[in-house]
Amino acid sequence: MHHVPAYILLFIALSLVQIFLLNNLVAGSFLCPLIYVAFIILMRLDTKPIVLLACSLAMGMLMDTTMGVAGINTIATLLIGFLRPTLIRLVSPHEDLREDGIPGPERMGVSLFWSYIVAMVLLHHTLFFTLEALSWGHLFRTLIRIAVSSCATLLLVWLTERLFTAKISARA
Amino acid sequence: MRRLVEFIRSIYVVVLFVLLEIAALSYYARSTAYTEARLLSRTNSVVGGLNGLVTDMSNFFRLGRENRALTTRIAALEEELARYREADEAGRLKVELRTMGESKYRMTEAAVVSNTVGRAHNYITLNRGGADGITNGMGVITPDGSIAGYIVDYTEHYAVAVSILNPVFRGSGTPEGSAYQGAIRWDGRNPHFVTLEGLSKYAEPQVGQKILSTGFESYFPAGLTIGTVESATLDEVGTTYTVRVRLSADLSAMNNLIIIENLDHQEIHELQQSEVIKNLETL
Repeated sequence: MHHVPAYILLFIALSLVQIFLLNNLVAGSFLCPLIYVAFIILMRLDTKPIVLLACSLAMGMLMDTTMGVAGINTIATLLIGFLRPTLIRLVSPHEDLREDGIPGPERMGVSLFWSYIVAMVLLHHTLFFTLEALSWGHLFRTLIRIAVSSCATLLLVWLTERLFTAKISARA
Repeated sequence: MRRLVEFIRSIYVVVLFVLLEIAALSYYARSTAYTEARLLSRTNSVVGGLNGLVTDMSNFFRLGRENRALTTRIAALEEELARYREADEAGRLKVELRTMGESKYRMTEAAVVSNTVGRAHNYITLNRGGADGITNGMGVITPDGSIAGYIVDYTEHYAVAVSILNPVFRGSGTPEGSAYQGAIRWDGRNPHFVTLEGLSKYAEPQVGQKILSTGFESYFPAGLTIGTVESATLDEVGTTYTVRVRLSADLSAMNNLIIIENLDHQEIHELQQSEVIKNLETL
């Protein structure tokens, strides 16, 4: 349970950055990074599915109310929270890799870690932007939005992971 | 036995997930653009203060440009004022001036707390609310007199406006110097363009011609700038034009806006909703 305070801090930090910085970002209509998914991505590898689901629900609802979109964040975040254990099993077949600790390149290997975060972010963003557009008429535009925003989110998730694990190991 | 427990454990997470997703999906399906505006204005009492701080900082760096725009606007107004004074002295426009003096529009300036242009539904949050006399249906314009949106919800100190960059925005426009009008709609693509639909073929819009507000919706006075004609295409049957309009307001760079209250809005609205009109519709 000693890592709970660190995760509470992560939750608060990611929410603040998302609400006050990224939601106010005006950089063309394609770029809309959603860094808050990093919270679900960086939960410890042995986290129980029910805890993942509860955290996804909390984060999704907070983002829905602050962004003023009714339910889209919750729908997308619940999905990645639910599919996370399956995804991790798919990308890292070795049992020992999934024992405990924060998902990161040191533990999983750089390529495995990247395929894991790419899968999570793409899944989330695809659902989010498709639901937001809610019409196939803008399909091409939606695809560009998914691609551009996913790239930005991926970079931010990578940065968050570096900062977060550096903080943890410095404290230990 | 252990397997059974494992099975139930895995199943109950799945069941919970499905239930939560159904709840979220049905909430989303039942939501309207107005639910979203409501959500935004409610959370603003908490987020608004801090958001305002961030906006203040970014505004500081835009002060120079804003100041120049305001100065040119003041100059233009001074010029207009001088012209009226002259006319008044000459005693020619006395009657017209009296009616203009009792204008049915009242203006309030407001600062932008948050504003989006990149979403499918865009809203502008302003730092004026019920305490400042703001109510639903008031128009929001930029200081240089271009249409930006209208208020749909408010709390005591904040108000949320539907941006012109929102598919639910209802407005109409008319080419300058023409009596024909069409509906203003945003197609959700480019934050610099809207379309003017259903414009009569007799209007013959020219590229570069100004598109002005009509005043029909009672959110805005007539004659405010919406934008300029970028291109116009006649439909297949050749009866109406669809005009691509370049917005004159840069929705992505707004710090201060003006809220317009039409003192007759309530009266017009009540008249339109009156029993007599309703009875006509049921006939």
